[in-house]
Amino acid sequence: MKEFYTNQKSQELFKKALKYIPTGIPGHLGPVQSQFIPADAFPFYAERAKDSYFWSIDGNKYIDYMCAYGPNILGYNNDIVDRAAAEQLKKGNCMALPAKAQVELAELLCGTIEIADWAFFLKNGGDATSFAVMTAKAATGRSKTIRVQGGYHGVAPWTQAEGANGITAADMKDIIVIPWNDTAAFEKAVAENKDSIACFIATPYDHRIFADNALPLPGYWQKIREICTKNGIVLIVDDVRCGFRLHIEGSAKYFGFKPDLACYCKALANGYNISAVVGIDALKSAAGSIFFTGSYWSSAVPMAAAVACITEMKRLDIANLFIEKGKKFGSGMIDAGRAHGIDMKFSGVESMPFMRISNDPTMEMMQDFCAECVKRGVFVVSHHNHFMNASLTDADIKKTIAVADEAFAAVAKLHPDKIN
Amino acid sequence: MKNQKVLAYCNLFAVLRNIEYLAAHDKESKAAVAGKNLSIQFKVKNGPSGQLVFKNGSAEMREGFHPSSIILFFTSPEHFNKMIDGKANPIPLKGFTKIGFLTGPFMKLAERLSYFLKPTEALLSDPGYFKMNTEMTFYTAFSALAQIGNRDRRGIQNAKHIPDGTVQAAIGDSVGLYITAKNGRLTAVKGFADKPAARLVFKDLKTAQGVLSGKTDTYAAIAVGDLVMKGFIPMIEHMNPILESVSGYLS
Repeated sequence: MKEFYTNQKSQELFKKALKYIPTGIPGHLGPVQSQFIPADAFPFYAERAKDSYFWSIDGNKYIDYMCAYGPNILGYNNDIVDRAAAEQLKKGNCMALPAKAQVELAELLCGTIEIADWAFFLKNGGDATSFAVMTAKAATGRSKTIRVQGGYHGVAPWTQAEGANGITAADMKDIIVIPWNDTAAFEKAVAENKDSIACFIATPYDHRIFADNALPLPGYWQKIREICTKNGIVLIVDDVRCGFRLHIEGSAKYFGFKPDLACYCKALANGYNISAVVGIDALKSAAGSIFFTGSYWSSAVPMAAAVACITEMKRLDIANLFIEKGKKFGSGMIDAGRAHGIDMKFSGVESMPFMRISNDPTMEMMQDFCAECVKRGVFVVSHHNHFMNASLTDADIKKTIAVADEAFAAVAKLHPDKIN
Repeated sequence: MKNQKVLAYCNLFAVLRNIEYLAAHDKESKAAVAGKNLSIQFKVKNGPSGQLVFKNGSAEMREGFHPSSIILFFTSPEHFNKMIDGKANPIPLKGFTKIGFLTGPFMKLAERLSYFLKPTEALLSDPGYFKMNTEMTFYTAFSALAQIGNRDRRGIQNAKHIPDGTVQAAIGDSVGLYITAKNGRLTAVKGFADKPAARLVFKDLKTAQGVLSGKTDTYAAIAVGDLVMKGFIPMIEHMNPILESVSGYLS
């Protein structure tokens, strides 16, 4: 009988972690938030990573389609990026002054992202979205933000839902939430809050968790742009997750519109911790008027890494490369599922696809499928979109499809009543 | 913050509802209600109304106002909550001839309720008591969840985010209660639903006791598979903050 991966060391370390760390593994990497169902099928801790793989502390090797939830874009421990980071580290990292790399990176971003006339550096995606909203408020003198239901912009109170632990009514006072792809709702919200809307913030397309991802309807972004311009509202694109995966010049370019501000993080430096907000010239002085900083925000190593990463992404024509890989991955999974009477549905852009089983509204089949894949060395999750990375080979995809074939067979046995 | 009106709903439809369980499972309670066929209407001004029906040795709590043998009136939710704490008496509006039931069998049920819902380590060392306490705590917690989700300000905010459907809570495959969400309104029903959208299952009594009493870390229980979440998890995610607030009302 075939032996599957086990995770004793992960389980043991997690029990120890619970003693010292709230929830053991806080945040989106925790076994609960990550939808590790059943938990014992999944590794909790990684020992190391290279290219498209990570090895758990139990020594199990996984082909990873979560890519650290986005930062892995060139491949884990990419030699080019790591070399640039190491060279900068020898010179200095967190110093009393920024390094030349800061200016070099800003210049590179302005020459890369279509709308970028300036760049401002931070650490996480949530820093970037909060700074962008503050910039809009500073520029307009207005207080309200419109965002999209189900959209994720980090964990700052304004990004969360009233009723969540730690969130108060005051946190949500100036937040208006509208459905995705609904320009009429946007027009209505603007009309009802005349001259008080500072900004509209949304991801380039609806890549929420637990649901099919939805691309913008034809003309959606152009209409939003038109309303924002007419009403003096700052248009912010949260390109933290999609950034560089749809178009090297920004996801707005992919969808054919021009925002005023755009936020980047995940893929910016292939895992080195940095985020950025870029904007149009008209908002440069507003951005400069805000005091917004942090102890490590000017660290030079991530900036040097980002320069190397962006340069390499350009060389590889990375978005098109990912779309090509994503198509192979998607068609292979769909065919493998079909062979077992299971209909897979893919949504979103191919470079970061959301996949589910079509006749599985409770997601139990998908949860079982993911667990069966993970037990066999392919790391996928049931609730979130997946990510392509540049180091993913055709052989990796082929192996993934072979694992999926076995996993689908196991799911078909578990859910015989749902097989087509 | 504890809202007295919400607490009154929890006390009536989550705590007092356990009399149903006692009448079915506790020897002394069974004896107390044997042969009793009558009903008690609880009427709380600016609060809940519910009827406890005793028939053929069983008990059933029904929401709303119904023709009853006995009517007990409370001037406010605070008044009712004090009665639950044993610090106030109800005002009988009807059923003076049946006052003996209140001072006799019903008092006995109240004592047993308190006995099983206020455990000590010594009591919990008895397997029979452990089972009764755990199962009653389970029913109380998830029944209260529905009340809080429908009436507490933060509870309502969370409940409105719960997608329509049914979440099955269970201890193993023998003790179950399911909560149905529809347009942000929650309904709790004992038993097992046909096709729940999500399931939250405690592996056994020990896990349920540990998690519900706060002695076992929920995340640890999930990580080792003692507490299983499965299905459409957003339902459970939005329910969790409400479940966490139950202890604030009923501890």
